[in-house]
Amino acid sequence: MSSSKDSFIIFLKRICVTSFIILCVSLFYYQIIKGNYYLIRGKNNYVRVIPERSIRGKILDRNGIILAYDKPSFNIAVIPYQIKNKKDGVFAELADFSGLKIKTLNRNYNRKFQNFFTPVDIITDVDKKEAFRIKEEFKGEVLIDPQPQRHYDYPYEMSHLLGYVKEAAAFSERLKKYGYSPNERIGISGIEQYYDDYLRGEDGGDLIEVNSRGRIVGFLGKRNPIRGKDIYLTIDSKMQQTAYQAILDKKGALIFMDSKNGEVLALVSYPSFDPNSFVKGKDEITKFLNDKNKPMQNRAIQSIFPLGSTFKPVVAIAGLEENKLKTSTTFICKGKLNIGKAEFECENVHNDENLQEALTHSCNVYFYNAGMALGRQIMASYAEKLGLNTTTGIDLPYEKKGTIPVPSLRLRSRWYLGDTLNFSIGQGYTECSPIEIMLATNIFASGGILVKPHLIKKIDNLEIATPYGNKLNISNQNLTIVKNGLVQVVESDEGTARMLRPLNLSIAGKTGTAQTSGRPHGWFVGFFPANAPKYTICVFLENGGSSYEALKVAYYFLEKLKEQQLL
Amino acid sequence: MLNNIARIKSHIKPAKIIIACLILLTVLSLSSIYSSLHQAGQLQEQEIFYKEIMWVVISWIILILFYLLNYRIYFDFAYVLYAINICLLIAVDLFGRSALGAQRWLSIGGFNFQPSELSKIITIFFLARIFSSQTDKGFLKGVLLPFFVLMINVLLIVKQPDLGTALVLVFLFFLMGLASGNKKRYFMAIIIAAIVFSPFAWNHLKDYQKKRLIVFLNPNAEPLGAGYTIIQSKIAIGSGKFLGKGFLSGTQNQFNFLPERHTDFIFTVIAEEWGFAGATMLLLIYLLVINNILAVARYQKDNFAQLLLIGMASLFFIHVFINIGMTLGILPVVGIPLLFISYGGTHLLVSFMLLGIFFNIYRHD
Repeated sequence: MSSSKDSFIIFLKRICVTSFIILCVSLFYYQIIKGNYYLIRGKNNYVRVIPERSIRGKILDRNGIILAYDKPSFNIAVIPYQIKNKKDGVFAELADFSGLKIKTLNRNYNRKFQNFFTPVDIITDVDKKEAFRIKEEFKGEVLIDPQPQRHYDYPYEMSHLLGYVKEAAAFSERLKKYGYSPNERIGISGIEQYYDDYLRGEDGGDLIEVNSRGRIVGFLGKRNPIRGKDIYLTIDSKMQQTAYQAILDKKGALIFMDSKNGEVLALVSYPSFDPNSFVKGKDEITKFLNDKNKPMQNRAIQSIFPLGSTFKPVVAIAGLEENKLKTSTTFICKGKLNIGKAEFECENVHNDENLQEALTHSCNVYFYNAGMALGRQIMASYAEKLGLNTTTGIDLPYEKKGTIPVPSLRLRSRWYLGDTLNFSIGQGYTECSPIEIMLATNIFASGGILVKPHLIKKIDNLEIATPYGNKLNISNQNLTIVKNGLVQVVESDEGTARMLRPLNLSIAGKTGTAQTSGRPHGWFVGFFPANAPKYTICVFLENGGSSYEALKVAYYFLEKLKEQQLL
Repeated sequence: MLNNIARIKSHIKPAKIIIACLILLTVLSLSSIYSSLHQAGQLQEQEIFYKEIMWVVISWIILILFYLLNYRIYFDFAYVLYAINICLLIAVDLFGRSALGAQRWLSIGGFNFQPSELSKIITIFFLARIFSSQTDKGFLKGVLLPFFVLMINVLLIVKQPDLGTALVLVFLFFLMGLASGNKKRYFMAIIIAAIVFSPFAWNHLKDYQKKRLIVFLNPNAEPLGAGYTIIQSKIAIGSGKFLGKGFLSGTQNQFNFLPERHTDFIFTVIAEEWGFAGATMLLLIYLLVINNILAVARYQKDNFAQLLLIGMASLFFIHVFINIGMTLGILPVVGIPLLFISYGGTHLLVSFMLLGIFFNIYRHD
């Protein structure tokens, strides 16, 4: 037994010696026989990876009009190893020649430095002529580094919708685990962020050998960058531009959507910003970021506001469904309602009002009574049912959900009857984003379906299926009753939105003037044609004064669409 | 009289040689790590270097502690330690800290340590006990059962994923099993079974591990990925020529061409800066250590001690051969450190522990 071990130990020793001899022979081969070859490769030749950025996918509208794309831009780069001893001198001359500050060059250099052999862009986005002029002057020291740069053809019109891109440098640590490289561009806000995985593609590069003067002497390999995928939106760029024109200089949002399938045709928020300046890193950025009107905010989906009378159809459908209201039910409006010592007002003295008339006139007193009959909980549960307490799930980042005084909501103080009254006319705790109330109103157009709003139509050639809406358990009869009321809002001579009648679009809808600190918000939510709705529109004006202002915007927008024969 | 002197001489010799080798290895390790961190005339990431000095100090203390500890204790606790080891590996799986795409570290009191390194030494105890204490040497109890118990350990390590260590453990099993006098055909049976199941295992490898194996077969397959490292590694080694470029003068290393050059690719630093002469000297030092351990093993009467020694010699051999083989591109890049030289605390500690055990066995002899 011990002799078997003994022989194994000898065997093991032989294996060791043999293996080490194999290693020595390989070392001999690489270091002695091919030593000079590798010494030359190592001493005078440097292997370098020249990254080649992938082209980011385009963003196009539903008709194939390009909204965002990559165009070549020219950067001036230096290779740190080449200028390592004369950096300050080169930078001083470059600054002199190009008219830039040395400080800027140094800042770019320090921020983008990766290693001694990867070019660092110190002057970015110069035109082609200027790039060659600089290259001519500083032959050995700089190189032209063409890089794809994002460009937006409709900067202000589309900014909230599309977002913008930025080099990931600033948050590269956080992004590394998602497979982003330090200088890769990443989509920020909007479609650019939401569909970044599709748009970004994959960077490639050349593996080359250069000599100490930076001249390429060998080519070792290449990985082709993979182009990102194109994204086609449901947006109609002409409608989008018209919407932007309509809301210009009025703080607010306008959304225009297909009533049946939730395809968003236009979505604008004003004030707006220029995404191109973010891509180029211009000084205007701070202007946008510091503006107290918050131009970066997408008011259509990222802000919530009191709804005012646009909430009344929700109360109406709740009352009908719960059998607390009938078409024949009337309440008498004397222009106000007294509860204890408090007085709750109405716009007008409407006298006898039934449901349809109350909607037509937007009579507060009717809805105060309806609200008292329903109570807070039932109203809240219907508001929830209609999606006012959740995000709509639109394919844009940072959507904010509305607030509804559901029983679980923490209140500032205890709930009074007066709160119920305020709730019934969309005031008080009720705050929603424009897109939420638009979808809630849309159930009267879609036959009780809470559609899913979306912007994506195609990814490259792949059609994206329409996401299913949520069919609510609400009787068609009741839906029709409220809808008829909404028709009268426009069609009746006393309707609050009668100014839209001349458009001849057979619009149904609801106006709202929401009280808030400062001037009231103006609302209009509607759809048309009323008998077979195709389009749903929502206009919101922050501190716009009244619903009248919102109606003017809606009128302008729809009239222009008619003129352009887009409807 | 003469006989006595000869005996004393043979007693002192292996220990002295190994101590001398250890000192040489320590000096070479610190200087190479220093050089690998040296870039553009400056020492980058100094804290790594200071941390390593601290590890070296701790390792020498550990060596003395293990020298004082009677090695039979490992026999008694072999199975308990093995169970603890499995628990630790499961802990890594659950709470481990990940680095470079693998989850191998456990953080205890600010120190990160790798249970998979520790499991090498524990596996040696385990195998030494199981192979030394069995009287019945049938296939099932003698070979297959130990193999399955070991596979729990191996699979947990593969899952981390640490392919290199898992491979080392499997090699240890075969070498120590064969040393214990089991029939060769038993092990052949396991190897054949493993080959049959290998396509299944392939599907369980991580993408980067698959890539490394593919690159091993064809280094030019992906010059920007794993193949890049091998090309750079060869340039660094080859350009060292016979005498090397001298300390801190290895351009390949200095210019940041090689990733992980203070850990798994530290051999390239030595080969570039000290040339063929230095590299073969290093190999010779390793060979001296291994040979002297085996020489002591040969005359060892205690079965357990003998297997421990064979286990540690095998471990040193496998590590050195695979690591240097991979930098030369003759073996796949599996990511195991060059023992005694690479940066990293746990494997240094483990190697010194093993040598502490060696000295203890040697004292008892």
